[in-house]
Amino acid sequence: MDNVVTKSKDVTLLEILDRVLDKGVVVSGDIVISVADVDLIYLGLKVLVSSVETMERLRGAPMSGAMEEPT
Amino acid sequence: MSVRNNLGREDNLSMGGEEKELIYLYCVTDKAPKLKEVENFADKLYFIYRQGIYAVVSKVKENEFSEENLKRNLANLDWIKEKANIHEKIIEGVMKYTRVIPFKFGTIFNTEDNLRVMLGEHSEKFKVNLTNLEGKEEWGVKIYCDMERLKGSTIKEEDEILKIDKEINSSSSGKAYFLKKKKEELIKDVLNKTINEYGQKSFETLKGLSIEARINKLLPKEVTERKDDMILNSAFLIDKNKVTEFIQATDDLKTKYNNKGLNFDCTGPWPPYNFCQFAKEKMQNG
Repeated sequence: MDNVVTKSKDVTLLEILDRVLDKGVVVSGDIVISVADVDLIYLGLKVLVSSVETMERLRGAPMSGAMEEPT
Repeated sequence: MSVRNNLGREDNLSMGGEEKELIYLYCVTDKAPKLKEVENFADKLYFIYRQGIYAVVSKVKENEFSEENLKRNLANLDWIKEKANIHEKIIEGVMKYTRVIPFKFGTIFNTEDNLRVMLGEHSEKFKVNLTNLEGKEEWGVKIYCDMERLKGSTIKEEDEILKIDKEINSSSSGKAYFLKKKKEELIKDVLNKTINEYGQKSFETLKGLSIEARINKLLPKEVTERKDDMILNSAFLIDKNKVTEFIQATDDLKTKYNNKGLNFDCTGPWPPYNFCQFAKEKMQNG
């Protein structure tokens, strides 16, 4: 089980962008970070925002069985 | 009094000073949170109660977290890392003693009254969600692939590629050029197909041990800070009694696919960021 990361360490940039800044409940607080705001972080990392979608597309059809995100 | 507006490094949890303060919401729970037990941040945290729901909050400075300042700070990666870590650690601290619904980073209210209104509006949904989360944990599994290793172990076994190799060897240079192009396309297709197959199988196995499962967006190397490519990003809600079995299953997959260049990254338990039932729903006020 050497691949299990214990959670006492600092949260990685990956998990920050995948969880802390992307998921969790979004309510109409007086101030809420928008998707466009998070895209700015990707730009700061010199990641073309479109490249994330491109990666998905290159991999072909999305996998079945995932929970659909409510829209 | 000295003006401190321009100092970006202020502690965002400090309560002193003459700055206007905002209310930062970390998580909600339906049992009184043990805030004294939250390491490092106990004295900054307090809760606001409304209709059976406790909201864990702290005050933050307007010079960091007003809409305009927050946007400016989001351009600063060090700032994001520091504050996102605080966000995460506080929720984890509360989560040790009670189930929680985590909020997205940077959910801020101008006044406690505004927050109370929000709690009143959504308290029933929060209660249902919290009840559903009892006895469960969120775990994340990300699968990465060393494409060169996968290529090495896969194309040897593909008849079509072996066939085209023979053709290339016995062709004129002009024809060989086109055959090589064709071969590259073929390899790409084979790799994609293989990655999808391995990813799908692994996901199905882990999904079978979970209560809920979801697939998230793949993230690029600039974010993962790894050399291999992410090929699956998934999150699972697991019965606490099944966590050991789940980790073992991930380990088995890792062993199974190790010589194909796949690597498994299993982390948890996380606050249930992926399993708050209305996570992405729009909930606009009038």
